[in-house]
Amino acid sequence: MTGELPVLLGLLLVAAAGTGAVLVRDPVRQSFVLSLLGLSLAALFLLLQAPDVALSQLAVGSALTPLMVLLSVRKVRRKARSERREERE
Amino acid sequence: MNGWTAAGTALLLCGFAPAACGVATGRASRRVPAQNVATTLLSLVFLLLAQGFARPAYVDTALVLSVLGPAGTLLFVRLLADQLADHPPGERRLRALTVGNYVAVAAVVLPLSAAAGPGRAMVKLLIIGVLLALGSWVATRAVHAAAAMGHGRGAPAEGMSGDR
Amino acid sequence: MTMRLRMWVLALGGLGVAVLYVLACLDLPSFGGHRHPYGDRAVRAALARHTANTISSVNFDQRALDTLGEESILFGSVLGTVVLLRQTRDEDRQQPEPARVAPSVRRYALFALPVTLLIGLYIVAHGQLSPGGGFQGGVVVATSLHLLYIAVDYRALERIRPLGLYEVADAAGEAAYVLVGAAALPAGWAFLGNFLPYGTFNTLASGGTVPLLNAAIGVEVAAGVVVLLARFLDQAVEIVSTDEEAEGRA
Repeated sequence: MTGELPVLLGLLLVAAAGTGAVLVRDPVRQSFVLSLLGLSLAALFLLLQAPDVALSQLAVGSALTPLMVLLSVRKVRRKARSERREERE
Repeated sequence: MNGWTAAGTALLLCGFAPAACGVATGRASRRVPAQNVATTLLSLVFLLLAQGFARPAYVDTALVLSVLGPAGTLLFVRLLADQLADHPPGERRLRALTVGNYVAVAAVVLPLSAAAGPGRAMVKLLIIGVLLALGSWVATRAVHAAAAMGHGRGAPAEGMSGDR
Repeated sequence: MTMRLRMWVLALGGLGVAVLYVLACLDLPSFGGHRHPYGDRAVRAALARHTANTISSVNFDQRALDTLGEESILFGSVLGTVVLLRQTRDEDRQQPEPARVAPSVRRYALFALPVTLLIGLYIVAHGQLSPGGGFQGGVVVATSLHLLYIAVDYRALERIRPLGLYEVADAAGEAAYVLVGAAALPAGWAFLGNFLPYGTFNTLASGGTVPLLNAAIGVEVAAGVVVLLARFLDQAVEIVSTDEEAEGRA
């Protein structure tokens, strides 16, 4: 049983991070939780001795996903702001 | 389960999990430094697990995270600079986190290097240690700098001002 | 359909999935265990072909066709993003404001860029020997270039990013995979067969076609991610719709 404790911990982390990513609605905060989910998944994969998948997850999840989410947020908000200003005029 | 795996699991539970709570809650000024702590500690967990599973090749995951983790932190700092400037993080807390990172890196990398013995594996471990320490140093500098000068930039196109 | 009816349909579907899922789980072998029929065979085949990393052997040799499919998915999605995020007629380009970054952060980025690039190339090159490979290494390589946007300036990134070249490299990587696969045909093998000499076990040149296919994926992924992020960055930093620009000047 003690041998499976690390895997159990990894599963719990992934479940918590995954639930958090769904519950958080603000995209900026979500990008943090998403990067956290990526890290937890990488930890779980390594605990299950699957380093190739862990590396894929790290490569994509630690910088690429947050960058794409935050860039999209910036674009959308900038556009919304200019439209708001237009309405006021 | 051997001692190294146990140590890795303990660090995952007592180090990474609290840092993860910090990343998931609060303002950007709390999340960004916590994100750096989380990636640093997770790299150390990977190193301990590689030793525990007796698979030196697993060290590559820690190597990748030791450069991509700080890249992620810098990215958050760059794109959320205005939020950091609005509510700058406490100077002393930031320094404490950095010192904590240094201590954790030294406490994990040095015993692992001793266990590896002189050779290629030891050099790789030390490189990862240096990259992690540099990463947390630069993360602190970046957060500090963004908090200090974020407001005076006058470049609304490049920030996220007024949209919280 | 009313909302209520929809909810009922959803509940019914969910219930069905739950029942099937539980039934399937009851039939699963227990967690862990010592009998891995597929794993044993995959490892044996990998060793017979002198590929130290069994995962790479599965990806680029035993199931190379699946990887071609995955690669094409990435290629297709990058293509789709390029079309969706192109500069339309009512949008203009604006020179981005130079970002102010602390000198120490800038110095770190200029040091970390070559280090990250090197680590990415190492992960690609050792794909057939240790964990990693073209996909993982390619993403790391692409991320390393974007340190220039993150910690220096967008214009610095644009200077080292002749986008046309990366678009060509993306297509060339995709084509190279198919061509290496087709090269097996004249040698009397099936498409994507491992027709090259296997080489010495646990050296960089071992594994026959595995390193070649691995490198093709590496080029495709690195170039593809750079092109993908370029579109996102252009939209977020440079491209503005005309009314936005007019308002900016006022």
